[in-house]
Amino acid sequence: MKTPQLAKHYPFAIGIPAVIWQVVFFYLPLALLVAGSFLIWTEEGGFAGFSLEKFTFFFRPPYFTVIGASLLLALSTSILCFLIAYPIAYYMAFRGKKWKNLLLFLLIVPFWTNFLLHVYAWFYVLEREGILNTLLRALSITHEPIAFLNSTFAIMIMMIYYYLPFMLLPIYASLERFDSKLLEASYDLGASWRQTLCKITLPLCSRAIKTGFFLVFIPSFGEFAIPELMGGDRVMFIGNVVSQFILGDETGSLGASFTVLSCIVLVISALVLYQLLSWFLKPRATTW
Amino acid sequence: MRSVRLKGLKKSFLQGGMILDGIDLTIPSGKFFALLGPSGCGKTTLLRLIAGLERADAGQIFLGNKEITDLPIHERPVNIVFQNYALFPHLNVFDNVAYSLKLKKVPKEVIKEKVLKILEAFHLESHIHKLTTQLSGGQQQRVALARAIVNEPDVLLLDEPLAALDFKLRERMLIELIELQDKLKTTFLYVTHDQFEALTVADQMAIMSPGGRIEQIGTPKEIYEFPATSFVAKFVGTTNLLSGTLHQIGSDPQVSIEGVGRLKVHIPQLKDWMEEGCQAVMSIRPEKIFISKKEVKNFSNVLKGVVHSIVYHGRSTQYNVLLSNKTRLQVFEQNEEHFPQEVIDYDNEVYLYWQKENVVLLQQ
Repeated sequence: MKTPQLAKHYPFAIGIPAVIWQVVFFYLPLALLVAGSFLIWTEEGGFAGFSLEKFTFFFRPPYFTVIGASLLLALSTSILCFLIAYPIAYYMAFRGKKWKNLLLFLLIVPFWTNFLLHVYAWFYVLEREGILNTLLRALSITHEPIAFLNSTFAIMIMMIYYYLPFMLLPIYASLERFDSKLLEASYDLGASWRQTLCKITLPLCSRAIKTGFFLVFIPSFGEFAIPELMGGDRVMFIGNVVSQFILGDETGSLGASFTVLSCIVLVISALVLYQLLSWFLKPRATTW
Repeated sequence: MRSVRLKGLKKSFLQGGMILDGIDLTIPSGKFFALLGPSGCGKTTLLRLIAGLERADAGQIFLGNKEITDLPIHERPVNIVFQNYALFPHLNVFDNVAYSLKLKKVPKEVIKEKVLKILEAFHLESHIHKLTTQLSGGQQQRVALARAIVNEPDVLLLDEPLAALDFKLRERMLIELIELQDKLKTTFLYVTHDQFEALTVADQMAIMSPGGRIEQIGTPKEIYEFPATSFVAKFVGTTNLLSGTLHQIGSDPQVSIEGVGRLKVHIPQLKDWMEEGCQAVMSIRPEKIFISKKEVKNFSNVLKGVVHSIVYHGRSTQYNVLLSNKTRLQVFEQNEEHFPQEVIDYDNEVYLYWQKENVVLLQQ
């Protein structure tokens, strides 16, 4: 009966293995990364002082473009995902009835397939002789094949395809628990469908919407596989730059400082996004 | 303040079950009207049809002289108080009540004045800035009421509004509702399965039976004293039903019951179904029967029985008496004295007396 006693007096004891794992494989490397971004080493590997030189290296227009492109990618992915996910979640939760669980299942199924398979599947759809081009020509909408691949369009398609469930699931979970009597009360008190959406439904699932936004925004900010595979080499994103520096010769510490820099940008932009969402989803207590 | 008129209203659900089968009903303007029926009889569906939350399969709904059958819900001058209140959890008390006024773009100062006035009337002025989840059940109930009437609807629909409250609070809210209706003169439609609530509040009431039919419409007194069908007699209050054969309709009407004998009845108005020798059911309310161990004169009917069980209710005592043919009759006696002259105990032989005018004769 030793273990229950331990758990009783030191309730956190059970978390010790996880904490060790987290420290050794996450916090320690992160600390090394941060340290590596502004420490200078001598040729022999000794300590030679601090410098912000590796940060100032990135204060140049090409890198601004990279960070801007990543922000734009993350923001547009999360907004588009929201615009697509919300109606689907709404429909599933309120009109799904007995099909609810089946619909949910169908949404989760693609998750069980390997990521690269998703990408190749989209290659088949988007390539010059692919399904989409064949279809468009068969319907006489176009005559020449369109180069869908290696474009922003292809990147966005793949980003939305991959990140949609992260937005959809929290919103669905929140709407599913939603008391539909509140909607009826709102209509009864004279609100139209749209007024009810803005004043009741959206504010009441604001927490789920915020969760969804962060689940999409944060990873898509650092996403590099999808732009790399679907966008060719046309646009550079943070992920691509970091991987180039880290994998390149002698440029590892530049990669570290760029990672730290983009982390700072990410934290700031996430905070701004949070404030914007809070403002947007506020019930507008007395002003509307 | 307008009347509600339902004409041939029909509603069925795909899954079957609840069905309204051609309801004709007029809810008079400015009256407190109660719709009483057992769970699942379709009374809530009826209310939802009037509110516009459901669409009727057939039939019409009129508000005054205006047909509102196809009017969308948010355009109907009708408001509901929901069973579980359905208060908006993200808004405070003030904003909950102000919701409909703000939608109507009423000027801010007017909204403030109206809402504060109504919250004061409901003793909620010290809770204006609280979230509704921080209020007690009774307070939430009053917020829901305030939210529904601040808009001055023509008809207020109440869907079992007191079901979630405890008994004492419910009694108090009933009185408050009656006073509120007296003051506003709005047409109230109160849906409930609780006969006590319905009898307490209603100016007029309708009884609905499972299968969605209106059994009887009338004042609470009419319904209770003169039930039209045995369903109404059984559902509203408690009653004793004895079936037998009807005799001597013209001169001295009597019902003969097997193993008991002949009992005198009174027929105030002759009904179509009544004829010599037909089957009929007598309904006698337990409190209309006088129980005693002694022989008493001046009653038109008397039966002998044995006390089978006694249930003490406080203000009254219920005696269950077995007749010679093993029929059980319930009798209520007021507990008027601390030390009654006559103590009736288990297995005592007793006489049951009642006047023939207190019997209601129903179709078998």
